Amino acid sequence: MLTSRMFLKRTRAGAVVKVVREHYLRDDIPCGAAACRLCPPRPAGPGLGLQAQPSGAASSLCPGPHYLLPDTNLLLHQIDILEDPVIKNVIVLQTVLQEVRNRSAPVYKRIRDVIANPEKHFYSFTNEHHRETYIQQEQGETSNDRNDRAIRVAVKWYNEHLKEIEDEEKIQVIFLTNDRTNKEKALEEGITAYTCEEYIKSLIANPDLVDRLACVSDEGKEIESGKIIFPEHIPLSKLQQGIKSGIYLQGTYRASRDNYLEATVWVHGDAEENKEIIIQGLKHLNRAVHEDIVAVELLAKDEWVAPSSVVLQDEGQNEDDIANEEEKENILKTSVNKDMLRPTGKVVGIIKRNWRPFCGMLSKSQIKEARRHLFTPADRRIPRIRIETRQADTLEGQRIIVAIDGWPRNSRYPNGHFVKNLGTAGDKETETEVLLLEHDVPHQPFSQGVLSFLPKMPWSITEQDMKYREDLRNLCVCSVDPPGCTDIDDALHCRELENGNIEVGVHIADVSHFIRPGNALDEESAKRGTTVYLCEKRIDMVPELLSSNLCSLRSNVDRLAFSCIWEMNHKAEILKTRFTKSIINSKASLTYAEAQMRIDSATMNDDITTSLRRLNKLAKILKKKRIDNGALTLSSPEVRFHMDSETHDPIDLQTKELKETNSMVEEFMLLANVSVAQKIYDEFPEFALLRKHPAPPPSNYDILVKAAKSKNLEVKTDSAKALAESLDKAESPAFPYLNTLLRILTTRCMMQAVYFCSGMDNDFHHYGLASPIYTHFTSPIRRYADIIVHRLLAVAVGADSTYPELTDKHKLADMCKNLNYRHKMAQYAQRASVAFHTQLFFKSKGVVNEDAYILFVRKNAVVVLIPKYGLEGTVFFEEKGKPTPKLDYNNEVPSLTVEDTTLHVFDKVKVNIMLDASNIQHQKIRMVLVEPKILGSDVPANLPTEISSKNEPEKKKKKLQK
Amino acid sequence: MAAPELLSDEGYRADGRRPAELRKVRARMGVFAQADGSAYIEQGNTKALAVVYGPHEMRGSRSKALPDRALVNCQYSMATFSTGERRRRPHGDRQAGELALHLKQTFEAAILTHLYPRSQIDIYVQILQADGGNYCACVNAATLAVMDAGIPMRDYVCACSAGLAEDTPLADRSPEEAAGGPRLVLALLPASGQIALLQLSARLHQERLEAALEAAGQACRALHAVLDRVVRDRLREVTALLGD
Amino acid sequence: MASVVLSEPEKLYIVHGVQEDLRVDGRGCEDYRCAEVETDVVSNTSGSARVKLGHTDILVGVKAEMGTPKLEKPDEGYLEFFVDCSANATPEFEGRGGEELGTEIANTLYRVFSSESSVDLKSLCINPREHCWVLYVDVLLLECGGNLFDAISIAVKAALFNTRIPKVRVLEDEEGSKEIELSDDPYDCIRLNVDDVPCIVTLSKIGYRHVVDATLQEEACSLASLLISVTSKGALTSMKKVGKGSLDPESIFEMMETGKRVGKSLHIALQKILDEEESLGTSRQKVGFLG
Repeated sequence: MLTSRMFLKRTRAGAVVKVVREHYLRDDIPCGAAACRLCPPRPAGPGLGLQAQPSGAASSLCPGPHYLLPDTNLLLHQIDILEDPVIKNVIVLQTVLQEVRNRSAPVYKRIRDVIANPEKHFYSFTNEHHRETYIQQEQGETSNDRNDRAIRVAVKWYNEHLKEIEDEEKIQVIFLTNDRTNKEKALEEGITAYTCEEYIKSLIANPDLVDRLACVSDEGKEIESGKIIFPEHIPLSKLQQGIKSGIYLQGTYRASRDNYLEATVWVHGDAEENKEIIIQGLKHLNRAVHEDIVAVELLAKDEWVAPSSVVLQDEGQNEDDIANEEEKENILKTSVNKDMLRPTGKVVGIIKRNWRPFCGMLSKSQIKEARRHLFTPADRRIPRIRIETRQADTLEGQRIIVAIDGWPRNSRYPNGHFVKNLGTAGDKETETEVLLLEHDVPHQPFSQGVLSFLPKMPWSITEQDMKYREDLRNLCVCSVDPPGCTDIDDALHCRELENGNIEVGVHIADVSHFIRPGNALDEESAKRGTTVYLCEKRIDMVPELLSSNLCSLRSNVDRLAFSCIWEMNHKAEILKTRFTKSIINSKASLTYAEAQMRIDSATMNDDITTSLRRLNKLAKILKKKRIDNGALTLSSPEVRFHMDSETHDPIDLQTKELKETNSMVEEFMLLANVSVAQKIYDEFPEFALLRKHPAPPPSNYDILVKAAKSKNLEVKTDSAKALAESLDKAESPAFPYLNTLLRILTTRCMMQAVYFCSGMDNDFHHYGLASPIYTHFTSPIRRYADIIVHRLLAVAVGADSTYPELTDKHKLADMCKNLNYRHKMAQYAQRASVAFHTQLFFKSKGVVNEDAYILFVRKNAVVVLIPKYGLEGTVFFEEKGKPTPKLDYNNEVPSLTVEDTTLHVFDKVKVNIMLDASNIQHQKIRMVLVEPKILGSDVPANLPTEISSKNEPEKKKKKLQK
Repeated sequence: MAAPELLSDEGYRADGRRPAELRKVRARMGVFAQADGSAYIEQGNTKALAVVYGPHEMRGSRSKALPDRALVNCQYSMATFSTGERRRRPHGDRQAGELALHLKQTFEAAILTHLYPRSQIDIYVQILQADGGNYCACVNAATLAVMDAGIPMRDYVCACSAGLAEDTPLADRSPEEAAGGPRLVLALLPASGQIALLQLSARLHQERLEAALEAAGQACRALHAVLDRVVRDRLREVTALLGD
Repeated sequence: MASVVLSEPEKLYIVHGVQEDLRVDGRGCEDYRCAEVETDVVSNTSGSARVKLGHTDILVGVKAEMGTPKLEKPDEGYLEFFVDCSANATPEFEGRGGEELGTEIANTLYRVFSSESSVDLKSLCINPREHCWVLYVDVLLLECGGNLFDAISIAVKAALFNTRIPKVRVLEDEEGSKEIELSDDPYDCIRLNVDDVPCIVTLSKIGYRHVVDATLQEEACSLASLLISVTSKGALTSMKKVGKGSLDPESIFEMMETGKRVGKSLHIALQKILDEEESLGTSRQKVGFLG
């Protein structure tokens, strides 16, 4: 049977086009019930379908066997409940799925996963194409009303259909909706309908499920204070109109980490002006949450403000403390220099919420037996969330996950519901879990589906594998890596040719040989994007069998590799480059130190050592060339922990030391990456996956230039080369560490390097490496980008074939987006892990005084770097419950005068470091200035630099400080 | 708004078809009395007319006449109102010219042209409503029209398109599905399995070509069954009239 | 086949028949052939109609597109006519062969619709000077069996009757910038009032008499004809003499009278068909070219 849908569409040019689509109605769509003999057998599809004897939680409302059928809003809001293992046998209508798909991609993904889960017995019923459940939109009916009606028609059909099954027990279909009118209509039509709350509360055996109910304001829940706090959000249609006409600007809302009353909105689009808009004050922030897409309205120029340098944290327990807030807002409005003023605006509406489940902890209400509590997310940029729970006592001190449901105008905090308990706060496992979740790092063990694509063991190289491969097993190849490295993805060789030239080869693990495009293993790796290295844990991108065994270029075993081989002269000029898939047999896996020792040792003269020396020599020339070209060498303190082998607690911090051999390996990797980038770009000008590093906008350097100036040094920033040269010259004999500090600051001015697809961009330049083109080729075990590059290169040299996604620049661009995101998150997760371990370290170490340098000066604090630990921290001069010292901030120099002590950037100070565990969720390293001594502060300056107070109980120490 | 899904997890396409199913086909021969042969076909919402004039003497310049066979002359045009956005002219653009040439080649391969030396056969096709698979509908209509004209052919010519949703080949693409991805147009002489026309747009990996080709071939054979029924019904109708 | 060649005796036979008010196909001089009218045959147009009058086969599609009003009439929309004489009708029309005839017919249609009252153009205005609806009336000539003009005018009227123009709202914000919003209810549309849309009646002079709705053969016997456009109320909106022969004034008046009379009944018959079709609504089984 055939019907057609007619709708009007506006084309891009603005023309109105009438579109008529066919819509086929079928009578072969099964109802999905296992007991049904009327429908055709269920064809292969996701999940297992509905059970004949529905197992699931017993409900007091409907004691008989029943299936559930939720409507769209219920599914969107209560997905957490539906995901609970207790809820089974749910019919998901196509109408509902389509609406969900259009409204929330994450929820759609989740419901799809649930449907695919055989345990859950969810069934997706294609009602829109079923002859008896399809309905046409009637005159005067909105499409929403039509969809609601379609859902009710389907429920009715199901109930009648199930009656026809001749079974002793009739199964009922229960319609779940939170929409009052829809429920009334359903009841009128004789459908059993409940709200989600009614149904969940009726589950006899599972009372705690109620906690996970999203609280939706539609339910008419009274909110205690009737006072309206926030201005109304403008409806979407008006916003879009306003954005088009330019009254409003659309952008991504980014809350400030340091100041809960401030946020920036990054305006979308290419406009030069007003890229970044500051929002200040609770009312102007107007319920936007970090990462939301919002519409902002610019304020008049005389209301513009400067980004405040104040650090403010929302610590109020009391919800209705609005007056207090206003007072705090005033702090922000200190008079500032005119040219510091930035475009300022207010949020007028939300275009798209980007809420996700948040990790954090419960701040239990002081009122006994209270059910309503505040939840404090781990991410400071997220506001606190009000949740309702009966298990506050159990949840206290635990890390939990909470989802936001809504934020009414009269509520200081958004409303949410409890989702999951992760474990005790402070626990290493729990905290690691939290930081992985918070940084959206996929870290579940690899699924069976993924593992099924691994090669079967024992694995050996076959004839087939040797096709298109060169046998390079005779070459003297070796690898140089950090100690303890199990995923060796690169190895090198170097030999003199008969013509006097030198042949250098970089051999990279051939991961793309094992990971074939499009299978589950490939998809999972693509999703992960990168291996994440935490302090004591590695979250692999590919399963261990590959990362640490088959792909790892270990010594004395045959391994598949992708080789990049150059012929060079002694001036390290490339004469010839070729790429080939190969098979190698590494002669040695060395550590940096071992390699260094061989090079330095006068007695060793074996093959490996001589090639290492040659490589080292060439690397030095290459490095010099690169630096002459304007490549930057920047330092950032890399911290490494020595772990206690038993407790796995860090016992010592150590900044990473760089050896000549580190830079030797790095140099050839860079060279290989550049060569490969050129090759794939030549071959695929539209689809090459490259990496670029944009030059930072000049204003980024302001802080660096000012800081250098304060030390009478000049830093030129007009080009990378000038910058590199001026950094080299910026030495102060009296202050040897200054140069390092300057380089650290420079790092902070840089932009992020990103992957991109060559067909979608025309600026390829890599600023940091001063290379016109660059990509990632050398670490396919831990970076997915390299796998794609390998595939492209393999096609380019005729060793492999393409597949559609590889030559689709839009898909490639999407992939780059994901990879960039994953890399960023991995970096953040790594930093968070370091921070957590630093805390553990200081927890055991107790209070210490250390030398430090001031890196940044803020309005009420200074950021210091402690070279000994490579640790950065903030010293606040304001403390709760203490008189604030007189602060005078000078933006020009920049400097901060506290009472009568003036602090400048790069000043050497001494700080007192200890762990502040007063807030268990945000345990932090607290630093207090010891030298120079600030008037009125009472830090014991006489503490020895390396005091051990391990045995002192935590609390006592804190008292000492106060 | 998410991009439309080509194939749902349940295995249905956006319009409710399964991957291998054709759109609804309806056809009629002998639509016009004045032409020597004519036919009309609907494939989904795509509607096409074809008329055949000939074989007749060469029109215009006789120098074009072929000594050993008939000249097949084609024109492809689309009604100005046939597309979503109105077209400015019905034919004469590059695309129409190309398709006319394809049509000519396809039918030169199918018609027993050697039976009519020095003469001309005109095939004019006209799209009345364009909704995906325009060219295929034209080929199918033209086959019926040529038969209606009583011109001997080697075989039917059946054309159908196919696309791909990830790995699954989709027969007879609807315009919704035409938005992206590779497209394969196949014209088949079903009895012999010979290919009269094969056209592929957008990149498609060689390994997948086979699957797509297979799907398009299946679709062509299914179409052949439909067309064959139309021809037989028509024949019965006409002979019944003659018998009276 | 736009024209046929007849021998003298054939012509004589036809002329003599007309003299006796008995035409070759059995009709009287003022009788139309049996006409088939069907609307909404091309679903992606705003309105469409197919008319089959004897062997004359016409398909008309109307597309409403947004455009800017003409300078001299800032508060009105307008109609555009295009006639495609398809090679379907005759191989002579292949390539650009049909263009001349197409232009001639289109120009006639412009003249017929130039009268103020035929269609309420003001209802096509969206906002003055900026946006209006332009109705593209595209005529596709599929087969010629004589009396093209009448058949086309009937088809155009039927298609306009069938036309549904989406309702749009003009949203104006404080700044004065205007935004056009489409209604998302597909039933929400404007219909045209076609009561005053004229039809063309062609009267062909054959011998001493004139006939309406001449077949190709009859057209071959006629040296001159008068083409008049008549509204349903019998008002005459335009007139044109065509053909290579001449007409005397007296017979012109006579023909006008006949034309008005025939035209009025033609309108009534057409309206009846259209109303019948309309009453069936969506349940109507569309026949199109399949019947």
